[in-house]
Amino acid sequence: MGERELKRICDAALKAVDGDEGEALVIARNAALTRFANAAIHQNVVSREAELRVRVVRGKRVAMVTTDRLDDEGIRRAAREASELAKITPENPTFGGLPGDTKLAPAPSAFVERTAETTPLDRARAAKQLCDAARAASLSAAGYVSSSVQELAIRSSKGVWAYSPATTSGAELAALGDEGSAFAQRLSLDFGTLDVAGCAREAIEKAKAAQKPRDLAPGTHEVVLEPYAVRDIIAFLGSQLTGLAVEEGRSFVGGKLGQKVTGDVTLVDDPFDPQGLPRAFDLEGQPSQRLTLIERGVAKAVVYDSQTAHRTGQRNTGHALPPNPFQPSAPMHLRLEPGDQTREDLIRSCKRAVLVTRFWYTRWVHQLRTIVTGMTRDGTFAIENGEIAYPVKNFRFTQSYHDALGGTLGTGSALTLLLPGEQFGLQVSSYRVPPLRLAAFTFTGATQY
Amino acid sequence: MLGSVERDLAHRALDTARTRGATYADARFVRRAVEDVQVKNGHLENVDRSDIFGFSVRAIADGAWGFAASPILTADEADRVAALAVDVARASALTKRGDARLADVKPVTATYTTPIEIDPWKLSFDERTKLLLDAAAAMKQAQPSLRTTRASYEIWREEKLFVSSEGADIAQTLYETGASIAAESVGNGEQQIRTYPGSGGRSQNTAGWEYALKWDFAKNAPRIADEAVALLTAKQCPQDIRTAVILSSNQLMLQCHESCGHPIELDRALGTEAAFAGTSFLTPDRLGSFRYGSEHVNIAIDSTREGGLGTFGYDDEGVPATEGWAVKDGIFVGYLMSRETAASMGTVSNGTMRADGWSRLPLIRMTNVSVMPGTAGTLEDLIADTDDGIYMDTNRSWSIDDRRLNFQFGTQVGWEIKNGKRTTMLRNPTYTGITPEFWGSCDAVCSESEWTMWGTPNCGKGQPGQVGHTGHGAAPARFRNVRVGVVS
Repeated sequence: MGERELKRICDAALKAVDGDEGEALVIARNAALTRFANAAIHQNVVSREAELRVRVVRGKRVAMVTTDRLDDEGIRRAAREASELAKITPENPTFGGLPGDTKLAPAPSAFVERTAETTPLDRARAAKQLCDAARAASLSAAGYVSSSVQELAIRSSKGVWAYSPATTSGAELAALGDEGSAFAQRLSLDFGTLDVAGCAREAIEKAKAAQKPRDLAPGTHEVVLEPYAVRDIIAFLGSQLTGLAVEEGRSFVGGKLGQKVTGDVTLVDDPFDPQGLPRAFDLEGQPSQRLTLIERGVAKAVVYDSQTAHRTGQRNTGHALPPNPFQPSAPMHLRLEPGDQTREDLIRSCKRAVLVTRFWYTRWVHQLRTIVTGMTRDGTFAIENGEIAYPVKNFRFTQSYHDALGGTLGTGSALTLLLPGEQFGLQVSSYRVPPLRLAAFTFTGATQY
Repeated sequence: MLGSVERDLAHRALDTARTRGATYADARFVRRAVEDVQVKNGHLENVDRSDIFGFSVRAIADGAWGFAASPILTADEADRVAALAVDVARASALTKRGDARLADVKPVTATYTTPIEIDPWKLSFDERTKLLLDAAAAMKQAQPSLRTTRASYEIWREEKLFVSSEGADIAQTLYETGASIAAESVGNGEQQIRTYPGSGGRSQNTAGWEYALKWDFAKNAPRIADEAVALLTAKQCPQDIRTAVILSSNQLMLQCHESCGHPIELDRALGTEAAFAGTSFLTPDRLGSFRYGSEHVNIAIDSTREGGLGTFGYDDEGVPATEGWAVKDGIFVGYLMSRETAASMGTVSNGTMRADGWSRLPLIRMTNVSVMPGTAGTLEDLIADTDDGIYMDTNRSWSIDDRRLNFQFGTQVGWEIKNGKRTTMLRNPTYTGITPEFWGSCDAVCSESEWTMWGTPNCGKGQPGQVGHTGHGAAPARFRNVRVGVVS
């Protein structure tokens, strides 16, 4: 929609606000996803979406109204409704006011015109490339090819103005044989450099090796985790590295800043990482700071939004999500710092271990202890004497994630860019993670496949 | 209810799609109004009202599917979106291995509105928020040491218009109401939670404000506050034992959702969710003969039952609501189907295609998939009939593999059962199993008086992601020889 149009929408909203403070957040997306299964495209969607969220403050009373009616009347109606709602909403004595204008540091561009111009045929051709490659290897293919443009704009009566356009493109392939499957994913801000061929090659080669998996007894095993699995660990731990998690007594770093909480790994949140999905500000338009959250296993910091910072007497680090009471902030640009070993080095250094491609359906069992349960999926192998020996049937695991990182034996040197699904209707986070070798991972059950 | 303006745009879009070469097209207009309110630690922390309105066109051209959506409700945009849907369909045809075929459905002109007693949108804001503020105060009064209390509601009104090139014209207005309270405690190296009436976010039904009132928060808030604090020092659930387990009604409903509702989705069984949601152990060759559970297990698919989150007049392909069986006397007998997947099975759709708003494609989703009541009497009767076991109540953790076989669940609280009596409270209870073995071990389901229609307003599926609202009726049930306590 462009910066000028989003600014117009924000200004029109703020002009119609009747309150002490007002904030307008616009999220606009053009998203396209071409999905295939059984080696044919079966779902192929293009969607244009744009929403305005108006937050109005009257003293300690706060209300928010969301609309996608972005004509003048629709904008005015939303602003007025939020204003009226703020008059009758009970006071929240802990509310600290909207944050003010703060200068934003420049961030690398996350917008690539070529991605914005991707056509249905471009995506279909990439999908066909993945399907054909799988078919040539006598495998079935399922996955997607996507491209999207996302714009964020935030403006407030306290002088905030922040705007950022971003593009992403992705390719995902699950290559499926009769008795085993494997998975690969590639992401890029630039559809033109999206590594579709590499995605196909990785999934197909691994799928060939994954056929006819054998039984391996559950128990505690040394593991090598591919980046897809590492991302899951970082996402769960990252969700606990927030001021709110500490305040609510559910964070593994609560009361432990400055103490060793895990193994020899360093986790940073870097909104300016040019190889990530950079953005200089959070969803309140505040400057996002680069933070080292865990340094060589020592807890160093957690992230804050304006309200949690106000309530707990801490400094706002600029990590707000759209206003909500359950997850008001999050580290959105997590990077697990690389080590000095290749993936092959990590495998070669194992006498006996399990290689895990990705985790599936992971859920908290106990947040404070970071215990998570889930499954392995799409390519699980036994490593023997430094080599991938044979595929094994999938496991259920039940494991404390920060305890697992406590046994880090090796960290890969190459980082992979991965994105989670949408949160709050937008692509808000990115991860860059290496493969890891961990001393102990507890598998508590097994499947028949 | 949406009317002539949207209908005119829909017909224009369908005309454009046909002109561009679509052999089938449908247009859906959806306007969704939602109010979410959360009270945290006694203060109203979040008031979020939204009104989202847009439309989409789904088309078959060159034998393949396309879909496009927009929130801009103009004639020009209707033309653009319809043409784009056809272009997308033509691109899809690049990989086509056969033409898309739809099972027959009689195109109808119809309307449907959720029956409600109290329209929540007509109550004053104060009336709605008072329910939450009173509940929060009651929890804190009962247990001042609670770290966090939460109370929330959501009211929802969705107006939908479905118009197809086959002649269907269906307008619906669906209402939902959900509410919940939660008490969280921290101490003794533990963090514990109790929620009511369901787990996680909230329990929800297609209903009016009467649904929020039925749970008697004033009476139950002190109870869950007491239990949350008691859990901090409760006995740890035994580790890695096998015993009888009685699941509460609200836990059995999630067990049903995960281990029956998802595997009976025919798109999964046919492989079209293989990369993401996964496939299903309930493959078509098992339909009608596979023993899914014991003879006590009867699981219905019923989008006509009042109150369920899967209750409507018509699905998002214009197929009328139906009732049938997924599992009858323990045998797997039915799938959730779309028109396309039904055609591939040589049958007709049972009306389970549902989209998350205007911007998403309809997918096969659960409607109301319910474990039907048995004859075991009340929960207390069932406990009295159990010599040794554990009663587990209200979900805390859930996970299942991509074929829906290996699952592990945790509940918020458990109680030992000794000689027919509920005795010691247990913390961190978990159980795990393999789906058909687990349901095969079911030897009793409580009677109709214990049966409740629950709702899960947070079921994820699809790429791009969609959130589904599904209904599940359940009564407490007993399972024998279950593996319990896999983690400390």
